[in-house]
Amino acid sequence: MFERLRDIIVKYVEVKAETITPESRFMEDLGFTSFDFMSMLGELEDEFDVEVDEQEAANIRTVGEAVAYLEKLSQA
Amino acid sequence: MECKTIREIVTGAAERFGDGDAVRYKAGKDKIEAKSYIQLKEDSERFAAALNTLGELGRHIALTGPTSYRWLTAYLGITGCGSVAVPLDVSLPAAEMCELLDRADATVFVFDEQRADVAAMAREKCPKLKYLISMQKGEAQDGVESFDRLLAAETPGFEREADPDALCTIMFTSGTTGKSKGVMLTQRNLAQNATCLDMRIPERTVLLTVLPIHHAYCLSMDILKGLSLGSIICINDSLLRVAKNIKLFEPNVILMVPLMIETLAKKLEEAALLPAAVVKAKVFGRQFHTIFSGGAYLNPAYIDLFARYGITILQGYGMTECSPVISTNLSWCVKKESVGRLMPNCEAKTVDGELWVRGGSVMMGYYGMPEETAETLHDGWLATGDLGYVDEEGYVFLTGRKKNLIITANGENVSPEELENRLGEQRLVQEILVRENADGVIEAEIFPDYDYAKKKRIADITAALQQLIDDYNAGAPAYKKIYSLKVRETEFEKTPSKKIKRY
Repeated sequence: MFERLRDIIVKYVEVKAETITPESRFMEDLGFTSFDFMSMLGELEDEFDVEVDEQEAANIRTVGEAVAYLEKLSQA
Repeated sequence: MECKTIREIVTGAAERFGDGDAVRYKAGKDKIEAKSYIQLKEDSERFAAALNTLGELGRHIALTGPTSYRWLTAYLGITGCGSVAVPLDVSLPAAEMCELLDRADATVFVFDEQRADVAAMAREKCPKLKYLISMQKGEAQDGVESFDRLLAAETPGFEREADPDALCTIMFTSGTTGKSKGVMLTQRNLAQNATCLDMRIPERTVLLTVLPIHHAYCLSMDILKGLSLGSIICINDSLLRVAKNIKLFEPNVILMVPLMIETLAKKLEEAALLPAAVVKAKVFGRQFHTIFSGGAYLNPAYIDLFARYGITILQGYGMTECSPVISTNLSWCVKKESVGRLMPNCEAKTVDGELWVRGGSVMMGYYGMPEETAETLHDGWLATGDLGYVDEEGYVFLTGRKKNLIITANGENVSPEELENRLGEQRLVQEILVRENADGVIEAEIFPDYDYAKKKRIADITAALQQLIDDYNAGAPAYKKIYSLKVRETEFEKTPSKKIKRY
């Protein structure tokens, strides 16, 4: 899951995949804008075949939190 | 055709476009529902009639929610019968929304169920409020009316002429004082702004509305202008799904803020090796041709980039106080570095470097704030707070922002003083400056009270300050969150009057 997410992240921001860790914060460390982030969530919906809740997603700050959230959704 | 009232726009469109789709929206995954121009007119008349039945005609009616058919029905119903609509940002914290409800003297609150928390709090905190109306509840219960029930009890055809120069909408905008201001707009302000310029947009153009509906830019351009042209207004259900909804609704036109354009530019560049026509068809669909941009500054490089894909970006300029469009570029007359030509109902002059405008779209003033109104309106001239000038052909050029206001890339206004005041209440914070840093994120630079830290045995001052910011962020809307912290060893440089030097 982490690797798949990492491959998608690098399409939105200019960072090297190997520098992304579960602790990386989307806005502060990776340079996401809020709209980049929302657009990526839309792509994740397709990629992982889940329905993301906008409000819950707003609390996600790190890559690790996003992985945990996606895992929770895919198990549901 | 220039209109004087919002009802004129709605009835004119119903006559011309009748059973044609006015609004399309998603009803479940990949399923589209539609309402016609006649349905929209009749449902808005039903809502006006419901306000009459409740005895609330002419009062201030607040509404909040994401863009929806019901939201539009309510807004057009309220303004169609001469009542005053108060659209509120659906993402505001509950306490802040209650404060605005109270300050706007709202007697009715129409809300989307996702903000049931506000409705519950408003019962306690807003004594002027008489009715709560839920947009989703099927039946009235626990003192909350059902929007659908109220409509079902009425018949269409309710008429009550609205005075073109009467107050029609109060829109809250944040200002430099930190306290958000209620911009008072008349029927004529809004109707004229939406209809006075022929932009040569063909009738029945399909547009996708993606911006928040409480923004003047979205309300005027997407909705009022869209309706006046018989457009098919498609509602984007979430910013998560813009790309998906472009494929679903196949729009010709989208109104955007620069932030969105920047993200879409990355999508285009990602596939730069493929032929332009293929990329454009994949990202936007073949039918797509125009993006209107406003709300913040757009780097002109994006205009060239999108042009390579056959997409025209038309940049405009405006502010809520001017209903909101002041100038716009048009496909047949563009000056790339300019924010477009003045609207035909608007004249401009430069006073001490600042752009002032006058005309049919300039607001009445700020609700309940005579001092702030007097600072901004001078004999009918609106001081925009922007530094700029107009050339001999009527094109507007902006050179900077007079005030310190931070305008984020998605067009939200953040008053640094407001954030400074909030964090400055903390004992550990001796001096603070909030600004937009070079990366475009909101940054707080803090000079901590080192004596206090010593007394309280705070070893890691940076961590303690970060904690204060995290606590503040937890209760702040996304656009007001602080994403960067700088800790100072020395005091800030001050002006003679002991104010921190901003620049």
